[in-house]
Amino acid sequence: MKEKTKQPFDIYRQGLTEDERQRLADFFVALDLHCRLPGRQARGMREDFKRAICHYAETSVPLDEALARLDAERLGGFYARPPVLWFPLDDAAKIYPISMKRNRMAVFRLSAYLDRDVVPELLQMALTFTIKRFPSFATTLKQGFFWHYLDSAKRRFRIERETDMPCRPLKVSRSGSQSFRVLYEKNRISAEFFHVLTDGVGGMTFLKALTAEYLRLEGVCARRDETLWNVEDTPCAEEFANEFARVPHSARASGFAQKAAVQMSGRLARRRPCRILHFKMDASRLKAVAGTYGATVGAYMLALMFVAGRAATDEQEGEAAIQVPVDMRKFHPSRTVRNFALYCGIRLPLQAAAGVEAVVEEIARQLEQKASREAMEEMLTSANRLVRRLRYVPLAIKQPVARRIYDLLGDRAFSNTFSNLGVVRMPEGYAAHIRDMDFVLGGAATNRAACAMVTFGNTATFSVTKMTADPSFEEALYRLLCADGIAVRVEGSECCED
Amino acid sequence: MKIDITYPRPRRRGVFGSHWRLIAAWACVAAALACGVVNLCVGGPAWSAVAAMGLYTAWTLGLSPAMVECNRISQFIKLVVCACVLLALIDALLAPGWSLEVIPLVCSGALGVSLVLFFTDLERQKQNMGSLLLLMFVCMAGSLAGFPMWRESGGWALPAMGLAGAAALATCAAALRRDFLRELKRRFHTE
Repeated sequence: MKEKTKQPFDIYRQGLTEDERQRLADFFVALDLHCRLPGRQARGMREDFKRAICHYAETSVPLDEALARLDAERLGGFYARPPVLWFPLDDAAKIYPISMKRNRMAVFRLSAYLDRDVVPELLQMALTFTIKRFPSFATTLKQGFFWHYLDSAKRRFRIERETDMPCRPLKVSRSGSQSFRVLYEKNRISAEFFHVLTDGVGGMTFLKALTAEYLRLEGVCARRDETLWNVEDTPCAEEFANEFARVPHSARASGFAQKAAVQMSGRLARRRPCRILHFKMDASRLKAVAGTYGATVGAYMLALMFVAGRAATDEQEGEAAIQVPVDMRKFHPSRTVRNFALYCGIRLPLQAAAGVEAVVEEIARQLEQKASREAMEEMLTSANRLVRRLRYVPLAIKQPVARRIYDLLGDRAFSNTFSNLGVVRMPEGYAAHIRDMDFVLGGAATNRAACAMVTFGNTATFSVTKMTADPSFEEALYRLLCADGIAVRVEGSECCED
Repeated sequence: MKIDITYPRPRRRGVFGSHWRLIAAWACVAAALACGVVNLCVGGPAWSAVAAMGLYTAWTLGLSPAMVECNRISQFIKLVVCACVLLALIDALLAPGWSLEVIPLVCSGALGVSLVLFFTDLERQKQNMGSLLLLMFVCMAGSLAGFPMWRESGGWALPAMGLAGAAALATCAAALRRDFLRELKRRFHTE
């Protein structure tokens, strides 16, 4: 195996002039200065650089240009310094390691589709250069006496080829295990995150930086703007702060308890998610159609989900509820890439969900009320109080109790989830090479579906994560969108029924 | 609705799929119950409690290892804790009178082995100190708690365990210096 990876580079090196060979040797001396990882990791990183140089040679990129793109100075001191940073989990993240099980882990995925196939050699280098800008991602999950925490991990973070369903649980138990994964498949770059690290906004910040870095390595030159983090910048504390602690608390606190919602029918698949579907739509058309109902795109999609959800259940009574994550950054502007989102629940009697027109107004009203700053601050106050009350209870007691409570209640308070990341922007030069993006939520315990949406350019991608093979929900959704005159292109995975 | 497949075909799983752990768990529970029933029918000392603890040890170490921090030190210390509980059960239920000497010796020995595991791969194991710290504190606390018993019986194993715990703590502190304080801060943070 070693021979196979070494050979092309050695052959390439033999074909160089003496002067070029010297420059190459100088490059690796500089690399060794910037990479002080333990033996195997350092060797792995050296091999990554060699593979990237070979790729450039195969694509006729001159050696000087290749070495400039891969300049070891871009690594900064990240791989040269011992790991000392650590991060207590933010208030929203604390529940995830406590309630996780081997087959149930809060993982979500963000993907960017390029205008060309991904070159794994360059994606690996892009990850090597990007991760240093996100120190709270370059961590491993650890167990303290009272809470879990993230401990800095200096290692070679690896990319993987996609071979299975999205959002599989991550193995976080080993020394230095990473809590995210970067995958590639054809023209798609995906990043999957365990929710302890970040929320959708933070994850998207990472994906954008990674994609831009990949495109830079591909030779794309574009001007950066404020929509994109420069991987050369030095990280600052504000970018990985626990913002829940900084927000002033509300005088009132709301409860978390909500009554059980009606679930869609269909047998829960053994492997969850069992299918991923992407509904790709023209964003301006979608906005125009939502406008005809006097609603925002979010409220319109929620209305469709309620109506489609009704078509996908045999229940005749009860309330349907959709969980809607709310980004707290819109109330308290922040640059943090840690979790800074809460949620609200939009609830409707099942019988009311007869048509989009019948429910859209009520949904918009509930959204305005329940996702308001006051309501969110009340919830944040509750979350903060709960965390403060539990802080001196040893994890060995908290963990089994929390797990039992989660097993009992789970996600039964909701029928579905709708997470909307909104419009994602990139600098013009990079955006020209990105076709679209998607956002996929991980599997749920009881809910039969979880939905997420993101808009890039003029493509709005509504993704459905399925926990049952029953296709009623997505088929109803498709019919409703077509009935409103929205052209939908559906992409996705095969249904995995084992 | 026409769907373009853009993901690789999901990997197929074996007959038991991801359920082998559940099957193993139920097998362990069934075996423990069977031991209890046989023990009740046959009578005599409660050997089934020892058998159940043995099954739990196999389960927690082999079949369902920790999901966070599963490393050589934590696994070894878990094994030692299970062994100590087993010894205490055997002493209490089957053959009494020796555990107050044996368990402290086992713990002291375990501290020594843990330190070897720790210092032979220091760079990596620095981040895996949690279980080792707990074992040190438990040894010292156990020794203090057993002090009245020691005054009565005069055995040396309990004080030796406390001293071993303190010595291990001092060794780690001296070797790691600031990193040791940082580790304590991380492990016991309440933020």
